[in-house]
Amino acid sequence: MDVLLFLIPALPLAGALVNGLLGGLLPRALRAGIAVGAVAASCVLTLVLWPLAAGTGTRATLFTWLDSGSLQVPVEILFDPLSASMTLMVTAVSTLIHLYAAGYMEEEVDTARFFTLLNLFVFAMLLIVLADNLLLLFLGWEGVGLCSYALIGFWYAKTQNAAAGRKAFLVTRVGDVFLGIALLWLFSLFGTLSISSINAQAPLLDSGTLLLLTLLLLGGACGKSAQLPLMTWLPDAMAGPTPVSALIHAATMVTAGVYLLCRLFPLISLSPTGLACIALVGALTALYAASCALVQTDIKRVLAFSTMSQVGFMMLAVGVGSVSAALFHLLTHAFFKALLFLAAGCVIHLAAGENDLTRLGGMRKESPFLFWMFLIGVLCLAGAPLTGGFFSKDGILLADFARATPFYWTTWALSSLTALLTSIYAFRLLYLVFLGEPRDRRTKSPYLPDTMRWTLPPLALAGLLGGLLNLPPLFGGTERLTMFLGDLAGATLHVGLAVEWFLLLLATALFALGWALVHLRLRYELRSPSGRFGDFLLRAWRVDDLVARLVVRPFQWVGEVLWLWGDRRLIDGAVEGTGRLCLAGGELLRRWTTGRLSTYLYSLAGGAAAILIYLLIRAW
Amino acid sequence: MIVPMTHILAISAAMFVMGLACVLAQRNLIRILIGFEIMLNAVGLTLVGASALWQKVDGQIFVIFLMAVTSAEVAIALALVVYLRRRKATLEADAYAGMKG
Repeated sequence: MDVLLFLIPALPLAGALVNGLLGGLLPRALRAGIAVGAVAASCVLTLVLWPLAAGTGTRATLFTWLDSGSLQVPVEILFDPLSASMTLMVTAVSTLIHLYAAGYMEEEVDTARFFTLLNLFVFAMLLIVLADNLLLLFLGWEGVGLCSYALIGFWYAKTQNAAAGRKAFLVTRVGDVFLGIALLWLFSLFGTLSISSINAQAPLLDSGTLLLLTLLLLGGACGKSAQLPLMTWLPDAMAGPTPVSALIHAATMVTAGVYLLCRLFPLISLSPTGLACIALVGALTALYAASCALVQTDIKRVLAFSTMSQVGFMMLAVGVGSVSAALFHLLTHAFFKALLFLAAGCVIHLAAGENDLTRLGGMRKESPFLFWMFLIGVLCLAGAPLTGGFFSKDGILLADFARATPFYWTTWALSSLTALLTSIYAFRLLYLVFLGEPRDRRTKSPYLPDTMRWTLPPLALAGLLGGLLNLPPLFGGTERLTMFLGDLAGATLHVGLAVEWFLLLLATALFALGWALVHLRLRYELRSPSGRFGDFLLRAWRVDDLVARLVVRPFQWVGEVLWLWGDRRLIDGAVEGTGRLCLAGGELLRRWTTGRLSTYLYSLAGGAAAILIYLLIRAW
Repeated sequence: MIVPMTHILAISAAMFVMGLACVLAQRNLIRILIGFEIMLNAVGLTLVGASALWQKVDGQIFVIFLMAVTSAEVAIALALVVYLRRRKATLEADAYAGMKG
């Protein structure tokens, strides 16, 4: 029974192998069928094996991958409440996205490659989620990096897409370096890479080491989850096909960082300063991304910044010490963000490839169905009362507020402001795309593949009812997720009923205020980012310029200097100099070979004389 | 040994230098060849002298070899000379600069 757990990641891998090796020979429908089937099967399998997760979970070992001295890396799976809920979300949402992709890529030629990478992506993510060994986790960690690189640059014929893929790869790699250092350090400290035993032994460490380890792990998480210093790749990642964006943003990749911190929470929770850093990074990223999302004119870029912002909320939850709040928001966010992305993909499809907000508009009349689906997504994102997003976001704000220190009140204020901004940009997006009159838009293509259309309702339902996962007692719930997580849930909250009501009302007020602001003031105002501030926000606070100035250009300069002076002058100079010296020497000797016998004879005589003289001197 | 070694060495050295002078100074191919032969003979004389001095027959055997090789060499060299003379109608050594680098 335990060994069946390995089938969960193995099925998508098998799907990837079949499509990768034989995809070109198979009929188109079968390629998509294999990919969807593989992920759906592991989703079903997760549900079947669900009882194994209860309590402290089940641990299964397949074989020892690396066995070198004290380094033991078994292929080991830990199926506990945390990884089980995550696995279920990843497989379920990925199944729907795969199904959507089957319709989305209907007219694409190279679907074998696409579905191979998509399946491989899910496999790598499942490896991260299920691995009980940090090195195995790292394998999945790099796997999602590779797959995101290949998928973002799927249409690589366009230089811009290839560059976006490369950027995602390189920027997340910076985070991976931190994680790599953390892994090596943990190994040297504990002599093992098993997550369970590291978590168990963590209390033995002193606080300085713990803080540094937490910061290193945070660095790794920042790369994958697109948090503050390493977030520039996420908006550019929109260059990939829409299902890929949905997969990266909802089910995999960006949640990996949050999950890593949740997984190692017993370790990082021992360092209050480290937690504060995580909370600060999360809150600042949330605010930063929300402010950027306010003025974006590309429908997918708005969603990208929104993801960054929501992941910031999750990081904040981890920093606050509430794994259950982080996981809760992660799950509901996966549902509604996948919904939003897939619906946005449908919109773009209907508008014949148009994704510029200034040209869209009036989409409601063309497809009421899409309007309702998108509306549900927006309501969840903006935190409309009683939707999944409302409860999960409120859970984070509550946990933050309950810490009751000036620092956490500050992050709480920041994230409340972010919640307001979220409501504003979410409704702005809705108004600009669906309401009003169609603006400058090409004729639409009314055809929408069924697989694209019918993946939306399940996600909408999950998004709306997501709150039931962890309904607070205030609404008659039992906090099921928190109960299910048990010891893994992190800090327990002690807040009064009044505070809870206050926060709920505040969240509702913020949601309503955001909607009212958009409805009354902005509505269809495009806020063309002509002003200095608008431009500043549109360009994501000019971080790309900053990175270019601080990192890229110095690097280029160093490279140029090394190339010009090190390579061209020094190495090439030495090599070519030797060659030229030999040539010059040859030229000099060439004059000697006159071809005249007498010259040679004189040389012979001179040489003999020289030898004689030498011998004479020696003999003396 | 009746003749002292120094005398032999002196004579062969003188012969060698004279041969060398001939080789270096002459422009005619045949004369250069003659100079070579004189040098070789000087060397042979030294070998015979040394052989007699040390009472070993090696040197004399060596000289016999030298004569055999020399005769072969002369045969080839003279053939070459005849051939060269046919090509350029001259035996001036400097006329043959075809191997100029």
